[in-house]
Amino acid sequence: MINLHRALKAGIGEFAGWVTAMDFGDPIKEVLETRNSVTIFDISHMGRIRLKGKDTYRLLDYLIPKDLTKIGPNMMSGPTAFLNENAGFKDDVMLYNLGEDEWFIVCNAVNREKILNWLNNWKVKLGLDVEVIDETFNMALLALQGPKSPEVLEALGGKDAVDLKIMNFVRNVKLLSKEVFLVSRSGWTGEEVRSSGYEIITTPKHAEEIFKKTLELGAKPAGLIARDILRLEMGYVLYGEDISEDINPLEARYWVFSKGKTGYLGYEELRKVMKEGVDKVRVGFRLKKKVRAIPRHGHKVFIEDVEVGYVTSGNFSPTLSRPIAMGYIKSRYALFGLEVEIDIRGKRYKAKVVDFPFIKV
Amino acid sequence: MSEEIKVGDYLIKKDLLYTKTDEWVKVEGNIAIVGITDYAQKKLKYVVGVELPEVGNEVSKEEKVAVLESVKTVADVYVPCSGKIVEVNEELMDHPEYINQDPYGKGWILKIEVKDPNELKDLLKPEEYAEKIKKEEGL
Repeated sequence: MINLHRALKAGIGEFAGWVTAMDFGDPIKEVLETRNSVTIFDISHMGRIRLKGKDTYRLLDYLIPKDLTKIGPNMMSGPTAFLNENAGFKDDVMLYNLGEDEWFIVCNAVNREKILNWLNNWKVKLGLDVEVIDETFNMALLALQGPKSPEVLEALGGKDAVDLKIMNFVRNVKLLSKEVFLVSRSGWTGEEVRSSGYEIITTPKHAEEIFKKTLELGAKPAGLIARDILRLEMGYVLYGEDISEDINPLEARYWVFSKGKTGYLGYEELRKVMKEGVDKVRVGFRLKKKVRAIPRHGHKVFIEDVEVGYVTSGNFSPTLSRPIAMGYIKSRYALFGLEVEIDIRGKRYKAKVVDFPFIKV
Repeated sequence: MSEEIKVGDYLIKKDLLYTKTDEWVKVEGNIAIVGITDYAQKKLKYVVGVELPEVGNEVSKEEKVAVLESVKTVADVYVPCSGKIVEVNEELMDHPEYINQDPYGKGWILKIEVKDPNELKDLLKPEEYAEKIKKEEGL
């Protein structure tokens, strides 16, 4: 199993240089615990960037395809993105309006340096007064997810955050008697949709105390493998696997832009794509229950001898007890319900083309 | 109960032989039973699927014969010697989790009729395998 060791070591080392918990023994159990009870994830590997200065809004308004006027103080943008000149994904990110010309960005770990450079370069190019501060190493990010997460948050002292609306956050909240940077109702597991997902940003030391306390309060620790399965079940993308600089939001069916907003970076190209249509689109692939092979990044999708698409990520869904995957298929075959075949190491497996999410939460 | 060596969290059985690629081998007469070690299953995590070879297949030493699909990755299983596959653990098709639950027992993968017993001389003894893990894990 030499290839196993290579894959594993690479998997850990490669995660943007972060040594982080891939799992706590049983990722499948961690997924089910998230769906049925409550889990705590340390996702501090993600990039955290603070922007301040009088032109902060102008910079973001130019670089972000979403309508920022709708995002008031203490609100998050929902999933949005930085696009490149060709309307490809520079990164998909979450913005937080901290108020008074201050915004916060959570970006993918793999893209942190790239986004810092991107922001700094555009700030200079546009001659804007913005301070770009990398807060990644000053703060930790925890995700408390699952139907029992409101109880745990309340027990930590976060009563004021329990009833937050989705994509809203509060500051000046004390957890375990210490003020955190913010608590938001969000996540990347699907739990945030049914009011059972929160994220906490605070100092690393405080985060550690909170993490430990949540375990005492009945939460189970969960790692990145579980998180990857949870997001897959929801049809959420992972940068580097499902989207990249060469994929645009229309192909990905990833609605990171607001209709009606114009003039942002990538807008002209995106508009052109909208008028011309796309050649491929992101869809889900649902395999049969008995199948015990997993479609993975790069596996090809066929109808008889015609190659119609490829897989970008896949795993075993414990909720559906079957393998599921996502990937791109030529637009003319992007028909929900259509049966295709996925080539997994030389063997063909039947799969159905489906829409997202794979599961209802 | 056979004796065990424990390296970190990983169990090594003293009555088995081991490969550098993390399979265990139990020799009974001219038959070698093959599975993956506790160390391997813990690294692989939850196994969701197993692809087994066909009974009757002639295989050569260190040939890749089975595939384990886990939530983390996909791994190949190699045979420790040349010979004929005489039995595979069909139960794994419905219960791939046996690999995780009982890697040295219910999680056995296949049996092979050994062609040349000399080939088994290269296998690692339990103590040698323990050293290998220690080195890999920095224990």
